[in-house]
Amino acid sequence: MHERSLIQSLLRQVEQIVATEGGGQVAEIRVQVGDLSGVEPLLFQMAFDDMVPAVFSSECQLALEMIPVTAVCSECEHQFEIVDFQFRCPACQTGSVQVIQGDKVKLISVTINSNNSIEGIAS
Amino acid sequence: MNQRTIVVHRDVQADQKADAAAERERLGRRGTLVVNLLSSPGAGKTSLLEATARHFAGRRSMAVLVGDLETDRDARRLAPLVPVAQLTTGGACHLELPLVQRGLKALGDPVVDFLFIENVGNLVCPASHDLAEHLRVVLISTTEGDDKPGKYPKMFRTSQAMVITKLDLLPHVPFSVEAVTADAHLIQPQLKVLTNCALNGSGIASWCEFLEQQHQQQLAQYHEPAGNR
Repeated sequence: MHERSLIQSLLRQVEQIVATEGGGQVAEIRVQVGDLSGVEPLLFQMAFDDMVPAVFSSECQLALEMIPVTAVCSECEHQFEIVDFQFRCPACQTGSVQVIQGDKVKLISVTINSNNSIEGIAS
Repeated sequence: MNQRTIVVHRDVQADQKADAAAERERLGRRGTLVVNLLSSPGAGKTSLLEATARHFAGRRSMAVLVGDLETDRDARRLAPLVPVAQLTTGGACHLELPLVQRGLKALGDPVVDFLFIENVGNLVCPASHDLAEHLRVVLISTTEGDDKPGKYPKMFRTSQAMVITKLDLLPHVPFSVEAVTADAHLIQPQLKVLTNCALNGSGIASWCEFLEQQHQQQLAQYHEPAGNR
């Protein structure tokens, strides 16, 4: 259950962003969770719900999107989706492949509500 | 009311990964190979370290940071052989870098050839945390299922070596070295596979030889003249 530790890192990053942006209420935190990130989405959501009220308003929503694992072959440069965690290039059968997506938890965006008059970036 | 969406696209663990990379470089530059040992509880991490310490005694220096939820039992086993610090997580399921750094400090930040981190027995959470290791080794014992790699893909994908332990029990258990190797190689085709038995010492010499090779190969990058970098 290391999801709590990841939520802690996530909330810390969001706090820094809100400070840089001059404050406001965080309405939504959008996150991508890779299939190889080692994160169970339900536990991640539960940890978020439990921990967010201490930092932001409990109204703050988590928008979570699961991302499949994508790899690129080091031999033939073929790019492909990893199915059933089998890390072999379907084109040339080599096992020398690099994961390029789906092995991380990524903070995608933060939506902030504020009362000041700075013109917003369309969401 | 104004609503703004700030686009970020950043790894949630980016800061921790940067800290780990810096620590890895600091230790690598002074000739320490950091080895993160991971497995289920009871696979034989402490026994492998005891056998490794006996093999390296007088020839190679090593220190151990040992992670457990509670107690200092593993540290007390290793203390007669090598400098060791116990890291107790107080119930947390994995080690994180600040805990490792605190352990190093407690040992007086020793300059050793090998720093072993015996992680908390768990094949899930520790896979997601970079502890500044140069080498990640997953242990699997013959008393476990040989179909385990597929169930814990991240652990086997992110490891460079798999050590099959308790080989002396092989005649008595339904475990196939070939099956576990094939399953692990689907996930990490470049995984180095070693077998040994810490109790009778078989395979310990080749495990230590592998560590020596890794020490040479992985730390070579820090010894290159500046112009070649």
